[in-house]
Amino acid sequence: MPKYKLIYFDIKGRAEPIRMGFALAGQEFEDVRIKKEQWPELKPKMPHQALPVLEIEGGVVLSQSFAIGRYIANEFGFAGKTNLEKAQADMFCDALNDLTPKLTELFHASDEKKAEVRKELFEKLLPAAFTNMERLFSKNKDGTGFLVGDGITWADIMFYNFADGMEQIEPDVLKNFPKLQGLLERVRNNPKIKEYIKNRK
Amino acid sequence: MSQGISPLADALVSCSNARRDTSRSAMPTYKLTYFDLRGRAEPSRLLFAVAGVEYEDVRIQREQWPNEKASGKYPFGQMPVLEVDGQVIAQSIAIARYLANEFGLAGKTNLEKAKVDMIVDAIGDVSKGLGEMWFANDEAKKAEAKEKCLTKTIPTTFTGLEKILMTNNGGDGFFVGDSLTMADLIFLAHTDYHVDQLKEENTMAAFPKLTALRERILAQPSVKQWVEARPKTKI
Repeated sequence: MPKYKLIYFDIKGRAEPIRMGFALAGQEFEDVRIKKEQWPELKPKMPHQALPVLEIEGGVVLSQSFAIGRYIANEFGFAGKTNLEKAQADMFCDALNDLTPKLTELFHASDEKKAEVRKELFEKLLPAAFTNMERLFSKNKDGTGFLVGDGITWADIMFYNFADGMEQIEPDVLKNFPKLQGLLERVRNNPKIKEYIKNRK
Repeated sequence: MSQGISPLADALVSCSNARRDTSRSAMPTYKLTYFDLRGRAEPSRLLFAVAGVEYEDVRIQREQWPNEKASGKYPFGQMPVLEVDGQVIAQSIAIARYLANEFGLAGKTNLEKAKVDMIVDAIGDVSKGLGEMWFANDEAKKAEAKEKCLTKTIPTTFTGLEKILMTNNGGDGFFVGDSLTMADLIFLAHTDYHVDQLKEENTMAAFPKLTALRERILAQPSVKQWVEARPKTKI
């Protein structure tokens, strides 16, 4: 039995930052992907009726993607060095997570509503969030390194996945945020992450 | 700007701090800023109370907020924020987790901390659902949000939480490990308004272990003291 088994759908979604975290840590894990059609039958049998879950050798099952992400970051040393750095990492991740309800709304919106929600997201909410992040990021070595402290943390991985996803919808989304653009490239070029991206399903 | 601490509460906090080890004079200074509500700041206030650590409990009145926000001192233009030794941290759960880690109320190992986080995030899902109900701008949306809470969000999440609780000492202690953690305190803060908003529906009745846990947390002396002393607000 592997030490770690991650179970999620066959999409990036909320599991991709975790998969990337394992790659950064150089830690093997079983990457189980459920088909959407299997989920209704599987759901009532799952302990927390939600995905992703991380099954850890010894019988522990963790749910909640951020709890899992933070756990492996702490286990493998990329959570931030002090409690303060960890809090700063959490702060960035939580701020991005505040935007997911609107993203979900966009995903499910009817054709008539899609344009309106898209406008709100890309003309108002994302610029506001990125403006705050660019400003806060600049306080750390003038935004030439990583979000928190001296090295890559899970906050950078979360940001990468979020921004990369936004760029798929709107390639210019980071046009006015050069430091965040630089961060994205920096994460993309991390050797372990670069290798992971090259080989991922 | 109201400090939000009544003279009685102030005296109680000073008394309990006097009993602490006074050689910890190098303690950082903490300032928590929020509205004059329990809301998203209460988990942190409960953590300070249980840890017996002094802090400035700043409460901004609604009318003052636009000016405050415009000052640019809030990282994401929102409250609560925690100022500690010149640093400003935003995002209520990031703040709570920071304090919990500082005060030893976060769980003892990375695995315990992960379980605490998992529980806190699950509670957050219910809080979000109740928030949709509370802030819905028309009766139809309100009813829809309430229906979703009662038939889906609460049963699923609370069933899971009751199960998780029971894996720890049969559910007769705390959520994680052998003592109170931030998971228990956030559960308390959540159920304060959950129970109030859904009084008639009595949603907690289906979860005996969670109900008993709530009472157990309220009975902790430091929690009881704070709950009695704190400013009384609707939410």
